Amino acid sequence: MTRTGWASTFKKLKRYRALFLMMVPGLAYLFMNNYLPMFGVIIAFKDINYAKGILGSDWIGFKNFEYLFMTKDALVITRNTILYNGSFIVLNTVFAIGVAILLNEVRSKFAARLYQSVILLPFLISMVIVGYLVLSMLSAESGYLNLNLLPMLGIEPISWYFEPKYWPYILTIVQLWKGTGYLCVIFLAAIIGIDNEYYEAATIDGAGKWHQIRSITVPLIAPTITIMTLLAIGRIFYSDFGLFYQVPLNSGPLQPVTDVIDTYVYRGLMTLGDIGMSSAAGLYQSLVGFVLVLLSNYIVAKRSKENALF
Amino acid sequence: MQRKSKAVLLPSVLLATSLVVSACGGSNDAGSSSAPASGGSSAPASSGASSGAASNGKELQLTLAFIGLGNMKEVGLVQDEISKITKAKINATVKLMPIDIGAWTQQVNLLLAGNEPVDLLVTSSFFNYSSQVAKGQLLPLDDLLAKNAPTVKDAMEPAIYNSTKINGKMYGVPSVRDTAADHGIAARKDLMDKYNLSFDNVKTYADLDPIFKTIKDNEPGVYPLVQRSQTNGIANELVRGYTDYLGDTPGVLIIENQDLKLVDLYETQMYKDALQQARKWYQAGYIMPDAATTQEGNNSLIKAGKGFSYLSNMKPGFATQESTVNGREMVTASFVPPISTSDSGTGFMISIPKNTQDADRAAQLLNLLYTDKDIANLLANGIEGKHYVDAGNGQIKSPEGGSNYVFNQWEVGNNALTKVWQGMDTDLWAQTKAFNKNSTFSKALGFSFDSSPVKTEVAAVINVNNQYKAGLESGTIDPSKLDEFVKKLKAAGLDKIIAEKQKQLDAWAKANNIQ
Repeated sequence: MTRTGWASTFKKLKRYRALFLMMVPGLAYLFMNNYLPMFGVIIAFKDINYAKGILGSDWIGFKNFEYLFMTKDALVITRNTILYNGSFIVLNTVFAIGVAILLNEVRSKFAARLYQSVILLPFLISMVIVGYLVLSMLSAESGYLNLNLLPMLGIEPISWYFEPKYWPYILTIVQLWKGTGYLCVIFLAAIIGIDNEYYEAATIDGAGKWHQIRSITVPLIAPTITIMTLLAIGRIFYSDFGLFYQVPLNSGPLQPVTDVIDTYVYRGLMTLGDIGMSSAAGLYQSLVGFVLVLLSNYIVAKRSKENALF
Repeated sequence: MQRKSKAVLLPSVLLATSLVVSACGGSNDAGSSSAPASGGSSAPASSGASSGAASNGKELQLTLAFIGLGNMKEVGLVQDEISKITKAKINATVKLMPIDIGAWTQQVNLLLAGNEPVDLLVTSSFFNYSSQVAKGQLLPLDDLLAKNAPTVKDAMEPAIYNSTKINGKMYGVPSVRDTAADHGIAARKDLMDKYNLSFDNVKTYADLDPIFKTIKDNEPGVYPLVQRSQTNGIANELVRGYTDYLGDTPGVLIIENQDLKLVDLYETQMYKDALQQARKWYQAGYIMPDAATTQEGNNSLIKAGKGFSYLSNMKPGFATQESTVNGREMVTASFVPPISTSDSGTGFMISIPKNTQDADRAAQLLNLLYTDKDIANLLANGIEGKHYVDAGNGQIKSPEGGSNYVFNQWEVGNNALTKVWQGMDTDLWAQTKAFNKNSTFSKALGFSFDSSPVKTEVAAVINVNNQYKAGLESGTIDPSKLDEFVKKLKAAGLDKIIAEKQKQLDAWAKANNIQ
């Protein structure tokens, strides 16, 4: 750096010192909360022995990772995690935008508020409770479906908790029901922010509702959509633990379609109590997640630099 | 709570003092064997309390974590009573920490992984004993016991006492209980009587069919056969009486063979038959459809009137015990004679975890659990006059209106010191002793498998088990899936585990001179 470079940096520091000062607590928090614990990454490469402590335990290289890749587990949980979360991102966005546009068209203020609250409500319910709401639908003999709906349609009762084939749909529906409301509120806020003159002009020019939505609403809220989607992709490797563990009641036969990295790690640590192996799975999760974020950001940056995160 | 404890402080101090005086005065019965352990306090009676306290430095609160069974609402009161005794003897109070059996594995893992003080912990080969030792979470006890609890070993069969060793060191002391087990069924007496049913002609599990059918046909809403837990499937109960599981990993011994040749249980004809039997019962509607996913155990199902019977391992006095736990009178029948397996000792033990605040003091408390009649009674039965009342004849019974401390334990300490419940034979503990002694002993009694050399495989196998076992063994999934299960187990390294286990077993047999 040149002299003037240093000088200008220093000048900036001085000029914005209040702002930099304000940054300190946040940075300190980030450092303590997100960076210090990274030291624990070494646990994944150790044969943890409580008597010896973390540093004293023996290094065992990649042995903790072996169990992940010995069976097809790693493949299955990675596939499940990405496919589920990927489809959640797409479906949530589409549904949320759709509902937000519909809500925006509701003229009665009271009705609009009411619908909005009703749609948001599931988001506020704990997953454990959702799990039992689902059970009340699917329970083998006292569930609504097996007791009322299926007999009405002349279908034999189904052992829902033992039939993996239904669960990709069940989980998707539950997650949509629960997650749409939140996203919808954000999009609705963006839509409300659009100047009404655009629509008036469009109406005068003879554009129909559908045309207005396509050419005005969606393009104008595109930045919001991109940000929300990128944020979601950043967390694509972190599944909603409650959804995948509580809702299927931890049923064994469903595992091929309900096991995601989080539940796998949880089971590993809980039934085995092996911190090393669980850390290995956690590290694997972080690495793949990291790569995925870089990749998606790269793609977004190629299309429009402004919308990219970095 | 705070206010309450202050209010009871004065009387409890008085009571403690009087207890100390009386214990020391009449220390010829219960207290005597524990006296040497309380810090060499063969001191004069008058200074008993203070000398014990002095040798033990500052007062500690020792935590005893165990599996909470039955009704533990008033565990705090029992804890206070026990603390009064221990305060005087070893200058430590006791914190009882019952943990629900459903959450046991998880909670204990968290306890041991964190740094919470736990001074005594119930351990078990059913709950990762060997891996806890392998991970250094439990302390070796040999020296601690020799110093602080030299008489504990006299309380049980030597073979059982010595059976907890791993690599020559003890990490747990078995509880004094029924170490052998026969296997059979427990059923509600009211329904048996109502339909004039009896187990007299039932010689094998298959003979139970007509009884189940009667219940199924006449008692809608009552399942003829319920499971004890998600993981304790019906098929598992059917084969357990004939096998020695050798811990929590694959590779078992067939007891009647009296050999040391491991077999893969899942490929035996016996297991296949058991799955078929469970499936048959399931399809007949005798087993509840969500048996494999429900969180409800047998006791709550029977209590709620939703279940009729369950399969179980048993012991002398089992019917009375289960009647108390279920709140309904039960009758039992045994189909498989008693066996003692490799984990008869390691099934339930007390260990001292790495997290202990003071290993010596913990060992002293351990000693009291095995030698102090009052503590044993308090822990097992609660407070006299509140949780049980005298029934004469040396027996006890529930107080009017029940109580909020029903433990019926077998997992902690010396149960032969506890009072016998009304309904049991007064010589229950003598019977139990004979029952233990006369059982068929597994050749591998005392062998514990150290799974650490194959922990990668064990982890993979656990995941496969999670996926199939509960469904297959409850009869929920068709037994034709067994092939798939076995195939996946093999892919996960089942054979490697069995080979390693056989290797360790052979080495163990050689070291112990067992043919």
